[in-house]
Amino acid sequence: MAQKYVGQRVKRTEDPRLIKGLGHYVDDIRLPDTLHVSFLRSMYAHARISGVDVSEALKAPGVVAVYTGRDAAEKIGPVPCAAALPDLKVPDHRVLATDRVYFVGHPIAAVVATDRYAARDAVDLITVDYEELPVVVDAEAAALEGSPVIHEHFGDNIAYRLTAGEGDIEAALASADRRLKQRIINQRLAPVAMEPRGVLARYLPGEEELTVWSSTQIPHLLRTQLALMIGMPENKLRVITPEVGGGFGSKLNVYAEEALLGWIAMQLGRPVKWIETRRENMQATIHGRGQVGEIKIGCREDGTLTGLRYNVVADLGAYHQLLTPAIPTLTGLMLSGCYKIPAIQINVTGVFTNKVATDAYRGAGRPEATYVVERALDLVAAELGLDVVEVRRRNFPKPDEFPFKTATGLFYDTGDYEAALDKALANSDYTKLREEQKRAREEGRLVGIGVSTYVEICALGPSQAMPAGGWESATVRIEPTGKVTILTGASPHGQGQETSFAQIAADELGVRIGDVTVIHGDTAIVQYGIGTFGSRATAVGGTAVYIAIERLKEKAHKIAAHILGADASSLAFSEGRYSLTGAQVAAGAEVPEPVVPVAQAPAAALPEPQTEGKRSLTLQDIALAAHLAKELPPDMEPGLSATYFFEPKNFTFPFGTHIAVVEIERDTGEIKFQRYVAVDDCGRVINPMLVDGQIHGGIVQALGQALYEEVVYDEQGQLVTGTLMDYAVPRAKMIPWLELDRTETPTPVNPLGVKGVGEAGTIGATPAIVAAVVDALAPFGVRHLDMPIKPETVWRIVSQQTSGGGR
Amino acid sequence: MKIEGTHELRAARERVWQSLVDPSVLQRCIPGCERLEQTGENSYSTILRAGVGSIKGVFQGNVRLEDLRPPAHYRLVVDGKGQPGFLKGAGELELEEMGEGLTVIKYAGDVQVGGTIASVGQRMIQGAAKMMASQFFTALEAEAQTQAGEPPPQHGFFRTALRWLSGLLRRIMRGSK
Amino acid sequence: MIPAQFDYVAPVTLDEALSLLAEHQDEAKILAGGHSLIPAMKLRFAQPALLVDIGRLKDLAYIREEGGQVRVGAMTTHYQLESSARLREICPLLPECAAAIGDVQVRNKGTIGGSLAHSDPAADWPAAILALDAEMIVVSAVGERAIPASDFFVDMLTTALAPNEILREIRVPLPPPRTGHAYAKLPHPASGFAVVGVAASVTRGADGTCESASVGVTGVSVKAYRARGVELALKGGALGQQEIAGAATHAADGVDLNEDLAASADYRRHLAEVYARRAIERAASRVS
Repeated sequence: MAQKYVGQRVKRTEDPRLIKGLGHYVDDIRLPDTLHVSFLRSMYAHARISGVDVSEALKAPGVVAVYTGRDAAEKIGPVPCAAALPDLKVPDHRVLATDRVYFVGHPIAAVVATDRYAARDAVDLITVDYEELPVVVDAEAAALEGSPVIHEHFGDNIAYRLTAGEGDIEAALASADRRLKQRIINQRLAPVAMEPRGVLARYLPGEEELTVWSSTQIPHLLRTQLALMIGMPENKLRVITPEVGGGFGSKLNVYAEEALLGWIAMQLGRPVKWIETRRENMQATIHGRGQVGEIKIGCREDGTLTGLRYNVVADLGAYHQLLTPAIPTLTGLMLSGCYKIPAIQINVTGVFTNKVATDAYRGAGRPEATYVVERALDLVAAELGLDVVEVRRRNFPKPDEFPFKTATGLFYDTGDYEAALDKALANSDYTKLREEQKRAREEGRLVGIGVSTYVEICALGPSQAMPAGGWESATVRIEPTGKVTILTGASPHGQGQETSFAQIAADELGVRIGDVTVIHGDTAIVQYGIGTFGSRATAVGGTAVYIAIERLKEKAHKIAAHILGADASSLAFSEGRYSLTGAQVAAGAEVPEPVVPVAQAPAAALPEPQTEGKRSLTLQDIALAAHLAKELPPDMEPGLSATYFFEPKNFTFPFGTHIAVVEIERDTGEIKFQRYVAVDDCGRVINPMLVDGQIHGGIVQALGQALYEEVVYDEQGQLVTGTLMDYAVPRAKMIPWLELDRTETPTPVNPLGVKGVGEAGTIGATPAIVAAVVDALAPFGVRHLDMPIKPETVWRIVSQQTSGGGR
Repeated sequence: MKIEGTHELRAARERVWQSLVDPSVLQRCIPGCERLEQTGENSYSTILRAGVGSIKGVFQGNVRLEDLRPPAHYRLVVDGKGQPGFLKGAGELELEEMGEGLTVIKYAGDVQVGGTIASVGQRMIQGAAKMMASQFFTALEAEAQTQAGEPPPQHGFFRTALRWLSGLLRRIMRGSK
Repeated sequence: MIPAQFDYVAPVTLDEALSLLAEHQDEAKILAGGHSLIPAMKLRFAQPALLVDIGRLKDLAYIREEGGQVRVGAMTTHYQLESSARLREICPLLPECAAAIGDVQVRNKGTIGGSLAHSDPAADWPAAILALDAEMIVVSAVGERAIPASDFFVDMLTTALAPNEILREIRVPLPPPRTGHAYAKLPHPASGFAVVGVAASVTRGADGTCESASVGVTGVSVKAYRARGVELALKGGALGQQEIAGAATHAADGVDLNEDLAASADYRRHLAEVYARRAIERAASRVS
């Protein structure tokens, strides 16, 4: 098909409304008579609740109802966990705490009032009798015998243990020339979507319909789960996802508040709304990462790896959210990185702690894996005195080894890791960088170069490997007036698929992009879909759109042949038009107008299709004919629409190389970027601008983990980084100029050749930045530093060793 | 969180001790203490309006004196709960006589805070605790001295008030608007 | 993140605002740019019964030269100070300090008077105001008084302002000839407040030596302070790298050091020294 739009930097069609403030987020939706909910949340990390007195709150002006755990827990089912792991301990997670609280921010009571101020005021009038219990904060300590136990009936804090991997790891380590080990930490991070969570629920008692507006990434999965939790027919429940101001995985979940609001709306017969505050967002929306582990690496003298073992304690928090226990398993899957490692083993101990749950945060287990593997390669390079690039090259599989099987049981679809590496080396002028670094060191300056070559797993995924189906759906319709409507089961929330899907459709159908509308995020309108996460929306959802279009065109082709009285094989589709072979369409290069310009549309009747004597028909002609159904082939179904559910046969494996160059100020330990070069390969690119945007955002969040961000709980389980005054999300001025480039290795897994790019930046960049700082400090004998690498840490290394007599 | 410090009081140790175990004196000296009611031997319930500057919160709690070794030592145990969160602390106070009419109080304790104050006040808690300790001892010194029949010293509040008054007087003398 | 109930008044004259304060005393709170008070109210840390919004007192926003002083109205925004070309000529520390505050949004709304009256231990203005030996003109219903900067900052979040007073104007003596200014700051990665901020004003004698220096330090302790040890060490000496570095070692002498996630006490002491050195070097280099 002519590529008029695909591959172009088409501006996001979403942006004008968002820039002008005309978009509608949950809080922008105002229904008459709406009541507002405010939560009382635990200020203790672990306590027994011996009483909750809401009598004063109930008397407060504007208060309509107050619900406690006792009121709601019996009526609403537990908050679901979809991760199925053998022998997984699953605590009974009720929407409100009943007799115990397990983390700071644990909801205890919900106040419903006529406005959010009255609701919030009344929260202060509730008294709770807490009896404090011993707090479990440190994940490693939580696993030890003798630790206080959070969920007593389980006997200990270990939610599960899991061992995975292939190859004889003991032999691989034993037979290695060198064996290295390193403690590796992926600290807890807060996702900090710009828009916090929000829920609006309305119940219509006559229709028995419950509508829940929620800022979520998974409207259909949420509908199913809410139906189960609340105990109502799924076909009477509608979930609408308006604009969503970012999710980063934190809204790939089913939260207590979503079910509770739905249930309250049914109790009170009035709409109820809750908009999460930033403080609640930091306390009670899932966190990401939270892995503390140790790696053991075996390698030969030439730098090739013989084996890798990762023993890790995963800090799960007090409860399982939707995918909590599953995240470390993704880490296990990706431990081979983009290298040939004959034996790999991961031993996960998932532990309960008195903190909010960890779950999917951009990358979800893969940044952890990439960090582990990339640190391992750097440690090998340092051990053997090899260049970090050379070590990587020696461990890469070659392009003709694909599909490449890893010792973690995956088949990497396609890849050319050296091509991306070479391009990044050329773009950064790596050889020269190293020379400059040498000179800088001679002058006493601390310059570091970090290289990360990553592979990630995207397009999640084959349904066999997914807890709730891994396909995605699309419906494509051509309306009677010739406009194209796409319904996608994906739920874009900032990624820009309203634009990229329209690009695909406009090219495939030969229409103008402005004539395509992409609808998503309303379970009453859109066929069931899985949602947007795991860098899947374009690779899986976009493919569903593409194949639905092909289906639609098959039908259009038949109708065209019938109307033109020709054999189907004598018709060809080009530029939005079916033409008899050999017929030259004068204005063929021009995109046809929709058949009925709106201004001229008759009030009552559509025009008859003008088909007389024609040698070609536009899709719009055909759509109208299909709709009027007067000229269709016998037994042909009227209308012009097609629905397709695409089931991918495999994941996709995008890859790339990131290079960071930093300089450290000796005086203070401050870290300054000199360069940042990235070459990413996400397969075929639909919209380079959207891809760049995804890479930008990903790198920024990776930079946050590497240098700034860390959720800190004190030893009493108090959340110390509870606001954005304390939790450092990177600001624009902290971001270096990002020099981006690409290689394009299409995947055979889907016909678009698209691999996915939503998480690549967070996965590839973190190790590169850490490696750059470590490299800058290599003259001090530093081989590894824990994240976030703060200036004080760097300063201590520089000052102690400088004053200690040598550097 | 550990807090510790030393405060010099220009008062005799015996007098300082008496002040330190006198609930009515304590109520006047603990910054923001609105109520201190005895609930048992050496234990009290209290309402504190505590804070610094415009940042304030009301706490309800308990104060307990333990391990009394007059006139040299006691252990102070405090807990309080309120809208901004909770605080719990225990500290040892050591009184040392450093010559005629001069007492040095060394205090060392552990304070835990929870709730909103813990998660947003991190950078200020230590400073605020020290500031309140300092206010407490300054007031205590005044009390100890008052008991000795000396005129009240000019500690923080009085100084501020005097400065303001003198500025006002100067202005009135100048007769400007 | 939702404040408690409060009454709100937006007087149009200063007298009206003052009489409201006189009437309500401790229960009332002045709202200027709102960038310190509103966040505290949203956390319910501050629950004033009455908010007196002086945002309509437009005649409190000005930058004037008068009586050998720069006079800055308390309601002048950080941005107005940052962007004043005249100030860059006659008192460059003010715009330089303003430019280091928070971000564009904060600078557009926040005011110098609001910041000083709130007296956050890590705010930028107190360092500059101390280094410039400024005077605070404060008014109440019963009159007006001047408070030297060195007496203004009493303790953490505590100034010499009485509950019935409003900070009306900041008076900065015009720097003598051969004076250079600089503000050097390490911002906190999350809040943008100063982990350490040092404002320096250095006056050279005719022979190029240091005639006088004043150095204000913020972020390091419970309140901003003058680093007298540094000033004393500089006075009368040469302004070479070594002398400055030597003087800067006194930057945190005699103060209780803050400690938080961003910096331990040790590191803060070290940063104070480094940033003092940087500020003084830059200030000295700017003397034409």
